[in-house]
Amino acid sequence: MAEMTGTKAFNVAMKELMEKDDKILVLGEGVGRKGGTWGYFADLWTTYGNSRMIDTPIAEAGFSCVGNGLAYGGYRPVIEYMFADFSSLGFDAIVNQAAKARYNSNGELSLPITFIMPNSGGGKSGNQHSQSVEAWYSNAPGLKIVTPTTPGDVRRFLKAAILDDDPVVFMHARGMMFMSEEVDETDMSIPSLANAGKIVTEGKDLTIVSWHRMLPRCLEAAAEVTKETGKTIEVIDPRVLLPFDIDTVVKSVAKTGKAMVVHEAPARGGFGMQVSAMIGENCLKDLKAPVKRIGGYNTSIPFGVGEEYAYPQVEDIKVGIMELLK
Amino acid sequence: MKFTKDQMLKLYEELVHVRTMNNKIVEFIFSGRIAGAIHPSLGQEAIVAGLLYAYENHHQTVYRSFTHRQQAIMARSAGIDGFLAELMNRATGTLGGIAGEYHLVKIDKLMLPLSGVLGVTPPTATGFAWSLKLDGRKDAVVCCPFGDGMMSEGYVYEAMNIASIHKVPILFVIENNGMAMTTPLEWESPIEDLYLRGISAGMKGASVDGNDIEATVEALMEGLDQAGKCNPNVIELKTVRWEGHFVGDKQEVYRDLSFRDNLDKLDPVLRYEKVLLERGVANEDHFAKVKADQEKIMAEAFEKAASAPFPKKEDFLNPNIVYTNTDGLPIK
Repeated sequence: MAEMTGTKAFNVAMKELMEKDDKILVLGEGVGRKGGTWGYFADLWTTYGNSRMIDTPIAEAGFSCVGNGLAYGGYRPVIEYMFADFSSLGFDAIVNQAAKARYNSNGELSLPITFIMPNSGGGKSGNQHSQSVEAWYSNAPGLKIVTPTTPGDVRRFLKAAILDDDPVVFMHARGMMFMSEEVDETDMSIPSLANAGKIVTEGKDLTIVSWHRMLPRCLEAAAEVTKETGKTIEVIDPRVLLPFDIDTVVKSVAKTGKAMVVHEAPARGGFGMQVSAMIGENCLKDLKAPVKRIGGYNTSIPFGVGEEYAYPQVEDIKVGIMELLK
Repeated sequence: MKFTKDQMLKLYEELVHVRTMNNKIVEFIFSGRIAGAIHPSLGQEAIVAGLLYAYENHHQTVYRSFTHRQQAIMARSAGIDGFLAELMNRATGTLGGIAGEYHLVKIDKLMLPLSGVLGVTPPTATGFAWSLKLDGRKDAVVCCPFGDGMMSEGYVYEAMNIASIHKVPILFVIENNGMAMTTPLEWESPIEDLYLRGISAGMKGASVDGNDIEATVEALMEGLDQAGKCNPNVIELKTVRWEGHFVGDKQEVYRDLSFRDNLDKLDPVLRYEKVLLERGVANEDHFAKVKADQEKIMAEAFEKAASAPFPKKEDFLNPNIVYTNTDGLPIK
């Protein structure tokens, strides 16, 4: 076991992958000599040089599509956007091109490309550097969306994303990458993207589905509620949004009868709507209350000191839990 | 470049081949046997025929992107029966009639993806050309033709820039027909010579009369030679679009059509006939025979494609063509 941050876990996964598969290339702004804006690619340029760690011009649309072209040519490109918000300039390359590549070949080819999107706030950088954009990509069949939260999961699910033969949008909580945990470095298994849901804490009175920066807030709120009321809460980290592990959630709700989904993106149109609908469709007989959604406010994320006003806080989640447990 | 008699006759045959296919597409659309908006290259045959000739005579394998006016090259690449069936949405198509003409991709037939969204092909082709360079392949090159309309997409600037920085083996060909769908060149670009945009990206480039088949072929062969040595470059071929943006588009509402009074002077087929007559290479009887032969080939091929069945509902809704691994991803 080794203590590592999310950033280190990302870097370790990249090293493990690039050593084994020389078709893996990384394209993005500052991914070469600098080792990536966030340090995810530290030391890789020294080993792999300009041909595999490719510093691009500031041209997200162009280098996203160039990545698709490299994938058509047999490579396994990893495209990094620095901030998930910037992927909007690569949107066509992702949703119109990569997502449709297999269909437009009538299933003859696969396009193994991974788009790395550092999601979330925490940097006080305002409304164009702090968004969580899961929902932007969830309505484009052909894409998979992988969203691990902890360092150990970042390491394993990043490998699963890059080794997957379909285009994958990989989103992680940029604002949590400095946090660390014990990671089993010897575990070289590659997790399946299907059935990826993980029960983080067991409980019998309420099911919460949450990921990224809202996950620790849910755990904290749940612990406080348990301390105050004695009621226990089951918290599930889906780890992958597409394909979504609905079975793990359904089993939990069958036991608890109540469900809540919490994420950082605005509640309106957020992926929580999809989770809530799936729980409604699959668990109607078990539900003792309507599914509750807590998301960011439907507003722009404030710049600087105002940032957290727009995101759900532990207290907001706790109030939501108490309402559901009534 | 001096063309032999056989080469001149081949160029003429390719011109007529492209013209005949264009006319046949129009005929089949108006008789209701081809659905969707299709964009043939009437008036621009020298470019399509020139590219065909260059692809087949260059010393390296030429992977190619396409404009939506290059059905004859798609047909030569994929095989005419498969391509026409794909054009007509038939199950016998190159991709089972699923992709359709303007979404085709068939790498093993040298066809880089087409796209319904304009602008995409230059960066995608640049990435593919880069893969050839990374693989150390000296036997292959990429040609990426696109129109003056696409030249206004930011994607193209980004692609030329990246291709030029990394010296990838690609030739960009700008088919400048003076119309971006419904917008004339004067409203899409403040400069008339669009190859200058490639020059500004540090590439070599030239502008050529795209209605002159021999000048077109010469420029393309030189461009491919340079591209094949990892000197990306750009060739602009100037031409005139005769018809609307797609078959059935009423262009008279947005375009001054006075150019149509002089179509004979623009017509790349008639122009080359005149050259061949002057050189004593061929006579009217030869022209008539080539046209009759091509008409017969096209008529048979189009009828054959049109008689094939459509794909079935389950072919269109096959989950395995959406994802390689569909675990947890049902389509319904």
